[in-house]
Amino acid sequence: MTFFFDSFQSALQLLWSLDKDLLVIISVSLKVSFFSTIISSLIGVPLGLVIALNEFRWKRLLITVLNTLLALPTVVIGLFVYSFIARRGLLGYMGLLYTTKAMIIGQVILIVPIVTSLTLSAVSRIDSRYRKTAMTLGADAFQTAFVIIREARFGILASIITAFGRVIAEVGISMMLGGNARGFTRTMTTAMALEFDKGEFTMSIALGVILLIISFAVNSIFHYFQGKAGE
Amino acid sequence: MLYEIENLAKVYGGRKVLDVSLLLERGKVTCFLGPNGAGKTTLLEVLAFISTPTSGVLRYKEDKVDFGKTDLVSLRKGVVLLLQKPILFSTSVYNNLEFPLKIRNIKKTEREKTVRQLLSLVGMERLSQAKAHKLSGGETQRVAIAQALACSPEVILMDEPTTSVDVENQIIIEGIIREINRLRGISVIFTTHDRLQASRLADNILFLHEGRVSLSINENIFSGIIEKDMGITFCVLANGLKIPVMTEKTGPARISIDPAGVKHGNAQSGYKVKGKVIQLTDEKEYVRALIDIGVPLSIIVNRADLPAIGEEVFFAFDPEKVEVF
Repeated sequence: MTFFFDSFQSALQLLWSLDKDLLVIISVSLKVSFFSTIISSLIGVPLGLVIALNEFRWKRLLITVLNTLLALPTVVIGLFVYSFIARRGLLGYMGLLYTTKAMIIGQVILIVPIVTSLTLSAVSRIDSRYRKTAMTLGADAFQTAFVIIREARFGILASIITAFGRVIAEVGISMMLGGNARGFTRTMTTAMALEFDKGEFTMSIALGVILLIISFAVNSIFHYFQGKAGE
Repeated sequence: MLYEIENLAKVYGGRKVLDVSLLLERGKVTCFLGPNGAGKTTLLEVLAFISTPTSGVLRYKEDKVDFGKTDLVSLRKGVVLLLQKPILFSTSVYNNLEFPLKIRNIKKTEREKTVRQLLSLVGMERLSQAKAHKLSGGETQRVAIAQALACSPEVILMDEPTTSVDVENQIIIEGIIREINRLRGISVIFTTHDRLQASRLADNILFLHEGRVSLSINENIFSGIIEKDMGITFCVLANGLKIPVMTEKTGPARISIDPAGVKHGNAQSGYKVKGKVIQLTDEKEYVRALIDIGVPLSIIVNRADLPAIGEEVFFAFDPEKVEVF
């Protein structure tokens, strides 16, 4: 019990002291997670919308594949991307390995299926009358899509929040493609793994507590706006 | 002509739910009367260009509509469908009415003026800023009508516009339908299974049954067995009543009796089938009587020869006015 109490106290002290190393770690974590979430949303939301609103031959198979990709291990993605961006890889000349860009690429691959699948599910749940109403009022395909996105906004936002939660907490891709370089690619999760390896359990848990606080803050903001709009 | 429909069919899951040929005039109030599952909603969705027919030809204002090539968005700007249970976007009533104006690139000042006029027309001024999803069924229906009118359409298609509203809202909505047709010259095509409402509002009434235009409506549809007796073909109903029919079919069947095809008279008329008048309804040009013959039978009676409620009357059926399914 004391162990957890000490960890929590250390987390607060770390935050309070505005430790420079810690702030860099948090900032790298947030930056990488933010950009990978934005890029994934730009790909996954329209993709989910297109799949949900159209009937085509391989739709069911595509949904099954998407759902399968939700279980894709981070290590597999790490290896896959590594094979392309390693010095001898197809894209080795770009010098991406052990950079935040490489981490973002890996994380995008990880969460595009999450955003797509959850957007598809959110849009499929929307009453079909919204689409018919928009169409009969004279809306074109883009205006109709906009209406549907608007009505499914909380479901879509929830998919983005879920994706953000997934990447800010992942460790495999960050470690394999980022390399855990202090001040450059060290994130909260890779720092936690490092502290654990060093036997610094208190520091490791303190970083975990900070990560949870950030996740809690993001979710609270989301629920606040959801509640306001539902009034 | 507003719509010219030739052999228009719609197939869902291998079942033909619509198969009609029709002409619909401009500037009129037309009603499709029929039971649930008659194909009314499917027909309206095709006429609104939001559902593609499986086969057949549809002409709108003399131009053939090719659902694969024609610019349907442009056509939809002149034809608006009001769904049976309308749904409003989850924003304010004002924003809902503004939406069709915004997508038509109408200027803000013009939009404000139009929305105010429409709110006044449907008596919803005080709820302008209310959340649309918190309105009652009748209020939702009225806002949906205003939303449809915001499109300044040439045609309004209404799918059972008063099914889910109370009597007060029903009267208001019927008043709006009359007003938009007579004052604005908008063609109104609506569906209902309320015969009285159809006769109150419509210039033309068309009966739909099992996806086809029918002689009569659901009130005179009975199940029975087709049999031959003394060279005459009858449909024998469950209560033993024999209705003469013209068909080559035998065995179980359903028949539809045209209310205008039943002759009636008194005990001296020589007609065999006897029944008691249980209801009389004045429907503009004629009077409709509901007769108890073991099953309720609706017939059209002459004003000059009007039976009294409770009176016994005698009938003869014209086999040509009995449709066999």
